[in-house]
Amino acid sequence: MDLVLQLLFTGIGIGAVYALVALGFVLIFRATNVVNFAQGEFSMVAAYLMVVFSVDLGWPYWLSFLIALAGMALFGVIFNLGVYYPLRHRTYLPVIIATIGASILLSNSVLAIYGPQPQVLQGWFDTPGIQLGPVYLDSQYLLIIGVTILLVLFNFWFFERTLLGKKLQATSQDKEMASLLGISVSTMIMITFIYSAVLGGLAGILVAPVLFVSIQMGSTIALKAFAATIIGGFGDVAGAIVGGLALGVIETFGAAYISVPYKDGFAFLVLIAFLVFRPQGIFGERVAEKA
Amino acid sequence: MKLTRREFSAGLAAGLAAPALMRSAWAQGATIKIGMCVPVTGPAAEQGLWAQNGAKLALAAVNKAGGVLGKQVELVIEDDQTTNPGIVLAFSKLAAQSDIVAFLGSIRSTQVQAMAPDVIKVGKPVMIGGTNPDLTHSGNPWLFRFRPNDNYSGRVIADFGVNTLGKKKWAIVHSTDAFGTAGGKALTEALTKLGAPPVLDQGYANQSQDFTPVVLAVKQSGADVLGTYFTFENDLGIFARQLRQLGVNIPWVGSPSVVAVSSTKLAGPALFGTYGVADFAEDSSDTAKAFGKSYRDAYKTAPDNQSAWPYDAITILSAAINKAGSTDPNKIRDAILATQKFAGAEGEYNFDKNGDGLHGYNVVKNDKGKIVYDKHIDFND
Repeated sequence: MDLVLQLLFTGIGIGAVYALVALGFVLIFRATNVVNFAQGEFSMVAAYLMVVFSVDLGWPYWLSFLIALAGMALFGVIFNLGVYYPLRHRTYLPVIIATIGASILLSNSVLAIYGPQPQVLQGWFDTPGIQLGPVYLDSQYLLIIGVTILLVLFNFWFFERTLLGKKLQATSQDKEMASLLGISVSTMIMITFIYSAVLGGLAGILVAPVLFVSIQMGSTIALKAFAATIIGGFGDVAGAIVGGLALGVIETFGAAYISVPYKDGFAFLVLIAFLVFRPQGIFGERVAEKA
Repeated sequence: MKLTRREFSAGLAAGLAAPALMRSAWAQGATIKIGMCVPVTGPAAEQGLWAQNGAKLALAAVNKAGGVLGKQVELVIEDDQTTNPGIVLAFSKLAAQSDIVAFLGSIRSTQVQAMAPDVIKVGKPVMIGGTNPDLTHSGNPWLFRFRPNDNYSGRVIADFGVNTLGKKKWAIVHSTDAFGTAGGKALTEALTKLGAPPVLDQGYANQSQDFTPVVLAVKQSGADVLGTYFTFENDLGIFARQLRQLGVNIPWVGSPSVVAVSSTKLAGPALFGTYGVADFAEDSSDTAKAFGKSYRDAYKTAPDNQSAWPYDAITILSAAINKAGSTDPNKIRDAILATQKFAGAEGEYNFDKNGDGLHGYNVVKNDKGKIVYDKHIDFND
């Protein structure tokens, strides 16, 4: 039983990381109908910003955190203007390829500036964790889980209860209709990119003390997060969270009880099973092909 | 001006001969080229940088001492992207340049395995750092190893743990790539020979974000000592931290990555008190100390095995070409194999017929973040 609880805690912790990145995927997909393959690099860039401010410049952790997130907001603007906006009238394919290109450009730029050595970033708390009976709770994972819960509540409130959230929803559902109603579609898409960049950045900063700061930190998480969005139902906010958590728990238990070397295999096995038997994901609606 | 027939033919002959003459003059004035496949990008880009540093340091020393066959030596670097297809591509790009006389391959066994068939086709010496024993034992005459192979690391880890620490209940954790699998196997064999077969043999896939299941397996096995073969330092860092967090504090003797500079930095206190076999230990010999000093002077950081083996490879290769007196691949091969009692940064090189230069390891300890030399264990067979 102790073992199960310990595995459950880590599974949820790592799942929450996937969920945070998956959320960024989903928001951009809803707004623009394209998958942003540079989402993982958003996390990586933010983690490096955090290293620059808090480690290299020695600024206080909370200040570095705020500046890094502000930096990510700006980054979202630049990404939107540089990658999405020029291609917005084209089909989804050039945009997706542009995001892949951006992802390669970002990781190699950071490599060129910062060098290949992984960096250490301290956690938010001084205490590494709490021993709760037989289970060890890593403080950084606790923080990640807490932030994920808050974000779920925030997203619900933001998209369902605020005018801006509703405008964003309207834009994602039908751009023409939204613009007929006087909503500025490009502003809404800009806001979505900013929000996704900040979310991805938040994930990166939170996970950095656990996984270290490295060039490839984003891509490994993003691959799982992408699987999580498909499991949850592409384009669904709740689906991204549930998919991420499910993936984290499934791979942790699969590793512990079946095989450690095939840990990543379980995640993708679940993904394949969903693609075959329930392609719309847990929360997705069945999209009927129109004749 | 009138041109006589004789002048015309002389001019024509000179004109025709000029490119050939120029080429031979250019070739004599040119450099001796050594190709190097090294990760410039990808997960091991960090280690690739250290390898380049080590090679360049040796190159500078060789060139300062007059170069090779009276020419300066030049390093041609190609990015292997830390992947198997990457190194195959990098090697074929280098091999296409016919004036490259020898190559430096990878420290990663899996990459050496990937490029090995092409190495046979090209038929020129390739210096490697990969430690999977099979690499030099599969009948490929062109691979020369500048680090002790895993048969020795496994035997040294087992010997040190069983005879020096007195521990017999072993848990083995290893990567499932070529390096980790071969290492885990060698350690299991060595332990079985010493009468202490492992109670747990646990593989993991590279770039895992979480090691909780592995740590719990170690904990449940009841082992009193841990032996590891980790390929990537950030995997090792995550594992080490989770190991300590979940309360596993048994002695730990691991492959070289446990005592690598970057692991020590990443994992911090989680690695205090661990032992590692290290092909390179700065305090193990005068040559190693001298290498350490010049590396520090040049790069302001401590060297480790990632930079020590390319340093030795360039040094010994240059000496071998000088001794061979030619860049003929077969003559270079014979000269490398004839290298005996050569003091390198990694240890004393005594090449055997397989192309293995080193036959033992240093055991070092992480003493509160400082890597200190403990003892050297060498085997004669």
